[in-house]
Amino acid sequence: MQIKRKTNFENFKVAKKLSPEALIKKVEKSGLMGRGGANFPTGLKWKMSRPAKYLICNADESEPGRFKDKFVLDNNPEIVIEGINIAMYALSTKQCFFYLREEFKKYKEKLEKIIKEKSKYKITIVIGAGSYICGEETAILNSIEGKRAETRHKPPYPSERGLYDEKTCVNNIETLARIPLIFEDDFDNELTLFSVSGDVQSPGVYEERQGITLKYLAEKVGAIDPYAIFFGASGGCIPFQQDLILSYKEMEKTGNFFQTGIMFFNNEKSVPDICRSIIQFFNEENCGKCLPCREGNFRLLQLFQVILKRKWTKEEFQIIQDLIDFVPNGSQCGLGKSSTIALKSAIKYFKNEFDKLIE
Amino acid sequence: MLVTIDGKKIKVNKKCTILELATKNGIKIPTLCYHPDLRSDGKCGVCVVEVNGKLMTSCNNDISDGMIIQTTNERIIKQRKINAQLVGCNFEDEEEFRKWLKLSNMPDIDELKFKPHASQELDDSSHDIVMDFKNCVLCGRCIQKCRDIQTVNAICYKGRANATVVTKSLGKKLIDTNCVGCGQCSLVCPTNAIREKESYKEIKKLLKDPKKHIIAQTAPSIRVALGEEFGLEAGISVTGQMVSALKKVGFKKVFDTNFGADLTIMEEASELIERIRKNKDLPLITSCCPAWINFIETFYPEYLNHLSSCKSPHQMFGALIKTYYAQKTKINPRDIIVVSIMPCTAKKYESCREEMSVGGIRDVDFVITTRECAKLIKSFNIDLKLEKKMQFDNPMGPGSGGGAIFASSGGVMESAIRTAHYFLTGKEYSAIDFKVLRGNSGFREASIKIGNKTLNLAIIHSLKNARKILEILKKTRHKYHFIEIMACPGGCIGGGGQPKPTSKEIIKKRAKASYEEDKSLEFRQAHKNPNIIKVYMEFLGKPLGKLSKKLLHTKYSDKSKCGL
Ligand code: SF4
Ligand code: FES
Repeated sequence: MQIKRKTNFENFKVAKKLSPEALIKKVEKSGLMGRGGANFPTGLKWKMSRPAKYLICNADESEPGRFKDKFVLDNNPEIVIEGINIAMYALSTKQCFFYLREEFKKYKEKLEKIIKEKSKYKITIVIGAGSYICGEETAILNSIEGKRAETRHKPPYPSERGLYDEKTCVNNIETLARIPLIFEDDFDNELTLFSVSGDVQSPGVYEERQGITLKYLAEKVGAIDPYAIFFGASGGCIPFQQDLILSYKEMEKTGNFFQTGIMFFNNEKSVPDICRSIIQFFNEENCGKCLPCREGNFRLLQLFQVILKRKWTKEEFQIIQDLIDFVPNGSQCGLGKSSTIALKSAIKYFKNEFDKLIE
Repeated sequence: MLVTIDGKKIKVNKKCTILELATKNGIKIPTLCYHPDLRSDGKCGVCVVEVNGKLMTSCNNDISDGMIIQTTNERIIKQRKINAQLVGCNFEDEEEFRKWLKLSNMPDIDELKFKPHASQELDDSSHDIVMDFKNCVLCGRCIQKCRDIQTVNAICYKGRANATVVTKSLGKKLIDTNCVGCGQCSLVCPTNAIREKESYKEIKKLLKDPKKHIIAQTAPSIRVALGEEFGLEAGISVTGQMVSALKKVGFKKVFDTNFGADLTIMEEASELIERIRKNKDLPLITSCCPAWINFIETFYPEYLNHLSSCKSPHQMFGALIKTYYAQKTKINPRDIIVVSIMPCTAKKYESCREEMSVGGIRDVDFVITTRECAKLIKSFNIDLKLEKKMQFDNPMGPGSGGGAIFASSGGVMESAIRTAHYFLTGKEYSAIDFKVLRGNSGFREASIKIGNKTLNLAIIHSLKNARKILEILKKTRHKYHFIEIMACPGGCIGGGGQPKPTSKEIIKKRAKASYEEDKSLEFRQAHKNPNIIKVYMEFLGKPLGKLSKKLLHTKYSDKSKCGL
């Protein structure tokens, strides 16, 4: 795995020979895309944020079915710190906040040791308070400022007005870990960490190129009777298809949403049940600010709990469908906008399962 | 920028939100969490419109060149209908909800499908405010007011996601928080989850009691706002109609609190002069605003000596009714009930203070807000607009113009200066309208020459500005001679008990009406009001005299440890 490659901060030295502008050009040229989930070109983000007052390394990983940031922290924290150093040089930044989700606080000591020994810049570790929404690039700002973890309206984007109203660049930890690799001869911008879980023989993190087929992945991880695939909680759900190409680009073409956390389910599982857990998740993890997302998901959950006791009436199922369209349209941030994607695709692709639950 | 809205092409030069653009062009988009004086966070989703084929909220998104905006179509209406369902169960009652639907241009919906969920216990521990958060839609306006504009932080958010609630800070009862009772939260709450603690129903019962002599007094800022509750435009004065309606409701007498304001001026101007002469406890800070008094007692007790010892106008007036008026009319003061109709929620607690009674008899027995007053009148099926005009009752009325302008921020200062100038120099100030003292800013400074002395003045409204000036005093205590402070934005005309909605624009209109009333009055200075002269001659003696001190002045105490 490239991401595990040991580093002695050699690439940082190479990077510093370039001017910050040239360095950003190099990152742009490399084709590296952000690994936080939005797939935004890293070089472009840097260009827009420069000169940034702050850099934030986002390790608030909490998407269900995704555990690749943890993998990086376990296996190669040094390369992240090197990536941060390169980024700070390119962005002319003096201060970086390394945001760890609360459950990752055990990594603090190890990180601080590396920072003390190797880093040329000031990097401060911040521990979150256990909220999914803090992984969102504006909620993380509020959280670091000590405010309620709510998202902020965009625009202004963090690159224009972020932490303490200053220009800020927010990068995912895997993205930063891949920065030093750009200077290696075998750099491959398609290489991505896939987190695989569910009904498979070997769940875990795999480094693969985007563009592999689902069949390839399924064989590799030993999927058992794959039936439904969930791309995390916010990525949507599809029936198992052998020739599905796993990449942001390809999946967007068919109107689906790709996420690197991939959950396999066999046909003993009920898709509506999985959907209920997903709603439960969003019902507990939204920030509570926008009514459509907060109330909409709450009412959806209430309706999904109905099937634990009895079947839906036609009217109830109609309300469910209405709410599924309603929530993303009225919400302000990415969470609200994606919280019903899984439900919507589940109802589309597994209609027969839902039909059985209606009177 | 060229923007298309509902098929109409419009050229726009200045950046604004979609909602603002629509409003300017006479298109009504429904809103719920939006308030023109506050930051909009796009919380409720009610104001969605279609922009280039995508739905988005209009209150917090700016227009940009080439935007094609559709403010209503089938898709938008469907979206709004679901929104109405989610909101509807939170309103105080369905009737209020239906009224909101209509007023805000929302599509009508059939029956409500959901039941309210996040219910906390109703909190009626405070004298001023009731909080019943089962009606809360989490629009957050109250918190913006309390935290950002008043810097009091009595309420806050708690929890996250569907467990998010607005609640009292640190989980306390409202009475144990730092709440100063200004009621600005209740003024902006769209669902009445936060409202004044009502007492008009009790008054309604007492009005039937033939043994009781019930007197109403109305604050200067009521007459320029009450009409709004009856569908009149903001800024129309309804003084005469109001007196007549209150008489019909059953009040034996209807007095003008402006008269009390005149008394305050007589006393406070004398106090100012005395302090300047002795060079003691300057700057003098006004004390008419009870929320401000609560604020300084809670947050800045070390400055209490700067407060004027004057009771607020309606308390002074109450004290005189129970003494002077009672003697004159030979009515047992225990049979007299004084009801103050005020723009204010904090006056409810003020009237219960121990200091606000003489010999065990309270100055004022009830305080009701402008909104409650309207409810009371409406409950008798009286339409204020149709009432014929009547005069306030004598012997203690009417008030001077100086009393009338107490309604707006800067009014107390202006009237006090009019009278202080006369007391000090024996002459009237040449220009009665002190234009330098008027304006909309929450922090105004001016210098005025009286005789050979220059007085440095400051006029403050909103408690964040009060905090600001007290912080200045920490550094330079002697920068000012006289400071007027009102807790509510705009002063009493923007008070927490005023009709809803209240906004900066509406406040301006109300202020204009009260300055017009001042101009129209025969006597514009408190010291020229013949009724005032008479009260001092017949009863009180002189300002700051022994009886005045007993009836018209009060004291304050350190409350910074309360509730801890
Ligand atoms: S109490 Fe009223 S003003 Fe405050 S958030 Fe709730 S609905 Fe809004
Ligand atoms: S009025 Fe715009 S979101 Fe509430």
